[in-house]
Amino acid sequence: MIENKRQELAVEPNTAPKTNGLTRGVRHANWFSRYVRYRHFYLFISPFFLLFAVFGLFPLLFSFCLSFVNWNGLTAMRWVGLQNFRLMLGDEMLGTALWNTLIIGLLYIPPMLVMAFLLAQLLNAKWLQLKAFWRAAVFLPCVTPMVVISIVFSLIFSSEKGILNYVLSVIHILPVPWLTSEQWSKTSIAILVIWRWTGYNMILMTAGLQGIPVETYEAAAIDGANSFQRMMNVTVPLMMPTFRFCILLSLLGTMYMFDEIFVLTNGGGPGTSSLNVGMYLFDLAFQDFKFGYASCVAYTIAAVVLIVTLAVNRLNRSQEKEFVS
Amino acid sequence: MAGHVTVWSWNIAAESLNSIRPRFEAHDPKVHVIVDMTGAQMQMRLMLSIVAGVGAPDVSQLQNTDAPYYIATGRLTDLTSVAGKYRAEFPAAVWNSCVLNGHVYAVPWDIGPCAIYYKRSIFRRYGIDPNQIDTWDRYISAGSEILAKSGGRTKMLPMGSNDLSTLFGILLQQSGGQIFDGQGRIAIDSPQSLEALDVLRKMRMAGITSDVPTYSQEWMAGLTDDSVATYPGAAWLSGMIKDSVTAGKDGNADWGVFRLPAIEPGGLRVANVGGSVLVIPAQCRNKPAAWAFIEYALCSREGQLAQYRGSGIFPALLPALHDPSMDVSDPFFDGQMVSNLFTTDITKITPLNKTATWTEANGYLNEALSHWAATGMTKEDIFKPLAQTMSRRLMVDLAPGVSNVSGAAVK
Amino acid sequence: MIAHKSPMINVGRFSVYAFLAGLAVVFLFPFYWLVTSAFKTQAQIFHMPPQWLPSPPTLQNFVNVYHHTTLARAFLNSVITTGGSVGLSLFLCSLAGYAFAKYTLAPGHKNLYGFVLSTMMIPGAVTLIPAFLVMVYLHMIDTYAAVIVPGAVGAFGIFWMRQYIASNVPDDLINAARIDGCSEFDIYWRIVVPIIKPALAALGIMQLIGSWNNLMWAFLVLRTPDMYTLPVVIYLLNGEIRTPYGMLMAGGLLSTLPLVLGFLLFQKQFIGGITAGAVKQ
Repeated sequence: MIENKRQELAVEPNTAPKTNGLTRGVRHANWFSRYVRYRHFYLFISPFFLLFAVFGLFPLLFSFCLSFVNWNGLTAMRWVGLQNFRLMLGDEMLGTALWNTLIIGLLYIPPMLVMAFLLAQLLNAKWLQLKAFWRAAVFLPCVTPMVVISIVFSLIFSSEKGILNYVLSVIHILPVPWLTSEQWSKTSIAILVIWRWTGYNMILMTAGLQGIPVETYEAAAIDGANSFQRMMNVTVPLMMPTFRFCILLSLLGTMYMFDEIFVLTNGGGPGTSSLNVGMYLFDLAFQDFKFGYASCVAYTIAAVVLIVTLAVNRLNRSQEKEFVS
Repeated sequence: MAGHVTVWSWNIAAESLNSIRPRFEAHDPKVHVIVDMTGAQMQMRLMLSIVAGVGAPDVSQLQNTDAPYYIATGRLTDLTSVAGKYRAEFPAAVWNSCVLNGHVYAVPWDIGPCAIYYKRSIFRRYGIDPNQIDTWDRYISAGSEILAKSGGRTKMLPMGSNDLSTLFGILLQQSGGQIFDGQGRIAIDSPQSLEALDVLRKMRMAGITSDVPTYSQEWMAGLTDDSVATYPGAAWLSGMIKDSVTAGKDGNADWGVFRLPAIEPGGLRVANVGGSVLVIPAQCRNKPAAWAFIEYALCSREGQLAQYRGSGIFPALLPALHDPSMDVSDPFFDGQMVSNLFTTDITKITPLNKTATWTEANGYLNEALSHWAATGMTKEDIFKPLAQTMSRRLMVDLAPGVSNVSGAAVK
Repeated sequence: MIAHKSPMINVGRFSVYAFLAGLAVVFLFPFYWLVTSAFKTQAQIFHMPPQWLPSPPTLQNFVNVYHHTTLARAFLNSVITTGGSVGLSLFLCSLAGYAFAKYTLAPGHKNLYGFVLSTMMIPGAVTLIPAFLVMVYLHMIDTYAAVIVPGAVGAFGIFWMRQYIASNVPDDLINAARIDGCSEFDIYWRIVVPIIKPALAALGIMQLIGSWNNLMWAFLVLRTPDMYTLPVVIYLLNGEIRTPYGMLMAGGLLSTLPLVLGFLLFQKQFIGGITAGAVKQ
């Protein structure tokens, strides 16, 4: 009994016999008994696979098939072949959504990451007092419900009666039509996103900073580098993987951003000036109920994003190798 | 009959239904009606509930133009047996969007017969007689006169280049054109479309239009200053005008109404824009009670007239529409008998054929018109490529022969 | 000996504090505005110049939001769905994480784990429509399960638990328990779970934030007012016309408060939970 139990240990030596044609029967029995012996492993991981099959794999395959049909969920499905893909190539609204995504991303990602990095640096400084307070202040937005915050911001951004324009008027700046003009809506979204996500990125960067060995700084200090030089020459290069990760997360976040746009600009307004890819996909699916076309666009975008991400990762890896060698 | 009936509706329409609730409950004391002014994204939530089979109200309001889309889902209650008998009591133009393959799935509520709202003071100042404006050509020359005499300050009408399809739709009804033919094929590429477009072109070329987005702040501002002289629009627009314009002590706001000009002398001087219907989703558990409420609210003269008096909802029900009590002079419009003016010849409108993809098609039409307006309104045929876009996007055929006719007209 | 600080450093530090203070004001201002607006009437909210403090403050918004919306019910719904989601996810993720950490010799272990990790690459936007339809087909629309079950066990949770268990739960302890005749599940429940409490807290907090604040999925699958969660009720109240801002602020404050208070009390665990996300790369 005890003997048997011992064999289940994680450190169990690999006793699987080398097989050849003659021992096939034996091998088969071993093969089966190993599964039986590790049945708990399969049992414990099975919930994931069950749920994934129903809510992940099936939808993934279903969605792929939907890309080739015309369907609203109720009437009969109509096979249209590659028609959806052809439509997508001439879809001006998709172009607008991609463009808006890009602009919103450019508006908020650089300032947000720079600020997050500076904050992470500052909060890492030994002499700083009240660290917990500063960190809490910046991080608090991350735990609040987006729907509530978007409504608070819509009050703050109100052109006529908003506190922000009031403050601007006090310092003699003309009122800005934050949410009512096509020129400003993206900026308003960007401000909301910076407010909401700086703290999160700050934490990610803090984790990254803490992963840098102290010795590298000491070496740089001995070389006579001042703190700014240390930051540019030591910290920034070593933080590159963290930066890349933050940028990737932010890009995906912009692409599929939903709550902010759904609530703050009422789904992409005014006009289509703040419509991003995520909102457009949602509209296609649940405003127009074009399940086929929506799946086609979602699939294509996801595929492009995946390919680009993998390519960038590979490129970076090879560059880093060169750098090291 | 007993139980609760939940109704989803919006704005003034919801208030209007609420106002007749006590009368209905006096009529059917065991039915309790709850009108839910349902907040954000009503259409989306209704469709989600219809797809999911859970959570739809017992009765819902829909835009007349959206009705065919919902009917095509097959998840609305077939009302033929109870509503079929009212067919003759509604104008064909609105009844037609409630029917699919001979079955009735919705009941028309209100209609949007159109006319021109004008500011009497401006017309007086420049000596324009509204009674003389019986064609769009005369409308345009009156507009040019106002523009010239006001030194360019007063435009004849607001016409946002992002919303040309509404006015185009009015003109298309007058010219007898269609977007879809009787079989649901694309029929937009027609001489009638060109005729309607020509009126738009002349208006814009004359410089009498003010390019402000419909219902925007600037558009609303035009109601109270003298930047715009007239507002072509449906009967339900009067509610919005009355809300923003303060009438004088006598209730007279110095506004007037004249009938839509015709395209040709002696042509049709009416068109319908907007209007709603009520439907019963198939998942409703208390259909008899839901129907009882709809029947009272929409198919009875009493219910419809009460709504007109209370909220200015223009009844689609013809007996109510032609009821003598509708003929009251409106002090706001200087005592004009407005309702009569709106409804003359209402039954002569050729109904636009509505299909399940109507709203989407209208979107493409609107895009094409905006593009046409933005790129100099050349005379070139915008309808051939538009018909092809619609055909490709909506995946329906072009109506046969139509493009040939169009070609002949161009010659 | 105390290091001598140069005036330069003092000026530098002062400006850092000034910068941080300014930033804190900006970051905390929306909360301040949420709280004060909740005690203002609609007229006070839009008063110009703005009222920095409501004068006089009113409780009417809270009364209205209680009487005219299903907020109380929504609060309960949110507690149930969030509780269910956190509980189920912690159980299933740690169970699977334990399996992947300690049964490394099971046939297919490596491939299965690789598969689990690769599912992280699937964006939700691709599976949204079919996932909604699955809910319809399984008659799960408008049930708590529709919100709880689909996100109950995810690749990240498994990954996070596996990392922690692999480095914090000694094999010897598990072996000893086996020798004592513990069943496999008992080992997980009695030995492993008590050791991994910090990891559970961190993962639970992440799940808590996501679940409590979820709008899109709840908006799609919860179809009747009795089932709506807090974000849905608040979103719908933010209707297209005549938005009742006072009620929105009161309701918003009530739904924000639990997490903000939780955060202030358990700041360390919250930050830890998010840092857990950083390991994701």
